[in-house]
Amino acid sequence: MRAAATVIGVVLALGCSNNPYPDQDDDRKVLYLPFSEPPKTLDPALAYSTADHAITGKVYDTLLEYHYLKRPYELVGGLARSVPEPTSLPDGGVEYRFELRPDLWFQNDPCFALASASKRRIVADDFVFELRRLADPALASPVVDPFSALRGFAEFGARLKARRDTDLEFRKLRIDQQYERAGGFSGAHSDGPSTLVITLDRPYPQVLYWFAMNFSSPMPWEAVAHYDGKEGRPQLSEHPVSSGPFMVGHYEKRARIVLDANPDWYGARHPEWHAPGATFPSTDGVVDLSAAEKERLDASQGLRLPALARIEYRREEESIPAFNKFLQGYYDMSAVVRESFNRVIQEGGLSEDMKKQGMQLEKSVVPAVYYIGFNMDDAVVGRQAGEKSKLLRQAMSLAIDSTEYLRLFSNGRGLPAHSPLPPGLFGYDPAYQNPYRSVDLKKAAELLARAGYPGGIDSATGRALRLSFDVPDTSPEGRLRFLFWTNQWRRLGIDVQLSATNYNKFQGKVRDGAYQIFQWGWVADYPDPENFLFLLTTPMARSVSQGPNTANFKNPAYDRLFEQMKTLENGPERRALLDEMRGILEDERPWIELFYPEDYALVQGWLKNVRPVGLSIPTAKYYDIDPAQRRTRRSSWNEPVLAPAFALVALLVLLLVPAVRTFMRERQ
Amino acid sequence: MLAYVLRRLGYGCFVVLGVLFFLFALFFLVTTPDDIAQRALGEKAMPQVVERWKENHGYNRPLWPGPGHATDNLLVDHFQKMLTFEFGNSDADGVPIRQRISEGVLPSLLLTVPMFVIGIGFGIGISLFVAFFRETYIDRLGVFVSVLTMSIPLLLYIIGGQFLLGKMLRWFPVSGFDLHPGVLARFLALPVLVGVLSSLGSDVRFFRTVFIEEIFKDYVRTARAKGAGEMRVMTGHVLRNAMIPVVTNVVMAIPFLFTGSLLLEAGFGIPGLGSLTVEAIQANDFSTLRAMVFLGSLLFIFGQILTDIAYTWVDPRIRLE
Repeated sequence: MRAAATVIGVVLALGCSNNPYPDQDDDRKVLYLPFSEPPKTLDPALAYSTADHAITGKVYDTLLEYHYLKRPYELVGGLARSVPEPTSLPDGGVEYRFELRPDLWFQNDPCFALASASKRRIVADDFVFELRRLADPALASPVVDPFSALRGFAEFGARLKARRDTDLEFRKLRIDQQYERAGGFSGAHSDGPSTLVITLDRPYPQVLYWFAMNFSSPMPWEAVAHYDGKEGRPQLSEHPVSSGPFMVGHYEKRARIVLDANPDWYGARHPEWHAPGATFPSTDGVVDLSAAEKERLDASQGLRLPALARIEYRREEESIPAFNKFLQGYYDMSAVVRESFNRVIQEGGLSEDMKKQGMQLEKSVVPAVYYIGFNMDDAVVGRQAGEKSKLLRQAMSLAIDSTEYLRLFSNGRGLPAHSPLPPGLFGYDPAYQNPYRSVDLKKAAELLARAGYPGGIDSATGRALRLSFDVPDTSPEGRLRFLFWTNQWRRLGIDVQLSATNYNKFQGKVRDGAYQIFQWGWVADYPDPENFLFLLTTPMARSVSQGPNTANFKNPAYDRLFEQMKTLENGPERRALLDEMRGILEDERPWIELFYPEDYALVQGWLKNVRPVGLSIPTAKYYDIDPAQRRTRRSSWNEPVLAPAFALVALLVLLLVPAVRTFMRERQ
Repeated sequence: MLAYVLRRLGYGCFVVLGVLFFLFALFFLVTTPDDIAQRALGEKAMPQVVERWKENHGYNRPLWPGPGHATDNLLVDHFQKMLTFEFGNSDADGVPIRQRISEGVLPSLLLTVPMFVIGIGFGIGISLFVAFFRETYIDRLGVFVSVLTMSIPLLLYIIGGQFLLGKMLRWFPVSGFDLHPGVLARFLALPVLVGVLSSLGSDVRFFRTVFIEEIFKDYVRTARAKGAGEMRVMTGHVLRNAMIPVVTNVVMAIPFLFTGSLLLEAGFGIPGLGSLTVEAIQANDFSTLRAMVFLGSLLFIFGQILTDIAYTWVDPRIRLE
């Protein structure tokens, strides 16, 4: 008894607070965020997932960046003074000259001891070095394809591999020396310490977007040479050397990641430059703000960035505990979990409870599209069956109700899609209604009959039309979601069988071309229509190059229009080509466009300057915190309730006393 | 006894080789290197990138030994890595697996050791108490509560504990982990409590049965007849003589303290070896997963040998030959 009470007392004394942070941080501008998936790598040449980018985006700065407030997205200068203009070369190539800002520095780091210093300036050669790393076959960067547009990029990679395979001495050289000896490539070179010259073999205007991503961030050769994982040194993938507004202070990626403000970042050293990414930008020219939003954001105009002293990421493998901690005030932002959706969101806005707690809701449509695809190489649903299969695809498209799906499975978060291009991209037309993307079962039945399948019966064989829907998800919830689609087709009499396998088996089917219908999605790398429409070009077909065109759509007219469209500036001519391409897809139906997902983010009242972006763009440097408000609210929300502990002890005493008394009496 | 232990170790070696071969079949014959690469690189990876990844990770080599590649093949590489405990690098993030394992041992032990010690202490204490009051309402209540707590799955304990003690009563953080001395106890209190409560029912029920069986033996009656007090009878005689089944139960669990608890670590976000295994499964990180399965099998064999040795310690009549 006494022991039990003592144990309860000790446990309560040791742990009786739900505050997961040491108290000394209460007065600092620390942003607390959860993360579920640890980053795979912090090497900017390799980091491609959202989890990776959450860290690398804040730690590595880029030549260009997106204006924080303007929509549609607009590129502005980052480490470069401005966005360079292309210069056409006589041989058909294109040249871009990036002029760097003066006085740029990497963070202090022990790796610079290799160059007898504690820190050093960022120069154009650091960008050249990183671009050479992208071409290095030993690294297997995921973005070899888009950077292959740089002149000599692929040849450099092949040269490097050949030298390494044949020359043992070459392999022993330091990495930057290997690149030098292999001759580099003319597509990326420096013209003095402050000018980076990029030369492309052919016009590729979208290349500028890749310079707003971390793949092309400056990398000191010293870091690559030093952080090799040998003799107790960490690997570069776990120890970045910052050129951005934050630097890694603590990296325990399975539990806790800490980013501290980088005092050597140009924005911290030179707020007087008023560069768009170095001080909080003006709302001038931002067209989609309400008066209240404008007033709120204008209050921070000119604020020196980053406003935060630190960002603390804590690992939360499960979404519900993370959300509970957000409700307790221990996280500053959170997604809305499905289990609490109805409590938090009412009639598309925040519930009264949440409003009373001072929370804000930020909505943004993600530049992504989810779709059902047909394998156009298939004998029944693909091009071999000619007009018959086209009518079948059109009929199946007419039966699919995305709005109902979003209501049932996503709490209505998302917009029904009518074309592959999501909102926020040039070419998206909110008024466009795809004639095959509104539910019309009567018209669908007519088309099905014309296709030779009246009521879903193949008139040639007299048997029911049976198709296969291949999905990489065997979970009960996944099955429910996919069954929703097959049941929609069942209304037309078409028997679509769900073939649910694990991801690996599904990949195998895709590789072998053994699939008819599938569901997939694509999230934009950058906000240009080319980044979506290339998914349906012939060179990208799975059966041609194992590319991302899983529908194996091969249409010469579409390919021709794509080639014309991709090099044009945004304008009426490009718009006309996009409309023409959309018309082909509308008629051919290689995809049934389903929806554009929508993100709902909950933000605590003490977190300021949040503007939803949709794209995976680093925005934390713009955020500001009111620590006093947070401290007050947290303590009022988290008073421990101790009465049940005492009630439990009392109950135990009541239960045990009679027995003990009986025992004592018997002993006497 | 030495001969016995050596013989058991010898048998253990054969089992380990069998386990290694089974692992190879499981990880390399069922799943292709292309699948592993695609999962590591993500959906957007182009074919040439997948090929390079396979080359850089050595997955482009033949599976079996053959002419020209007697040693340079995946089977030999697999046995070499496992038997030398080198394990290689993770397929998911390229970090040395040994580093990940050594980082995960401390959080796992910080969770499992207190859970184990408190669990055993309370389990034995409560079952002695219940056995002492056998056939009274305390005994019946004890058995009822034990069966009740045994019937609840661990996942429900985790969710319920987080909801009741973390969210509603605000006694402990809902989840998380931090080695900072100011908050470590706060983070461990709830998972340890949940872990102890979830296993207490089965322990109490098992130990109670063992103790009650002993209580009715002649030597206990003799002890009482000689005037030994009830406390001395229970702790000095019953507990000591009931140690063989207790030790079997307890010693087998000791090696697995190192591998952590899959559900508790994943549910509370503790970066131990249990959650490392779960993450490896989720990420198709086969190199980490096979290292963890291999270590698990080694610890199981070690635990069995340890249990046999412990018998001789608790009961001097037992001789291992």
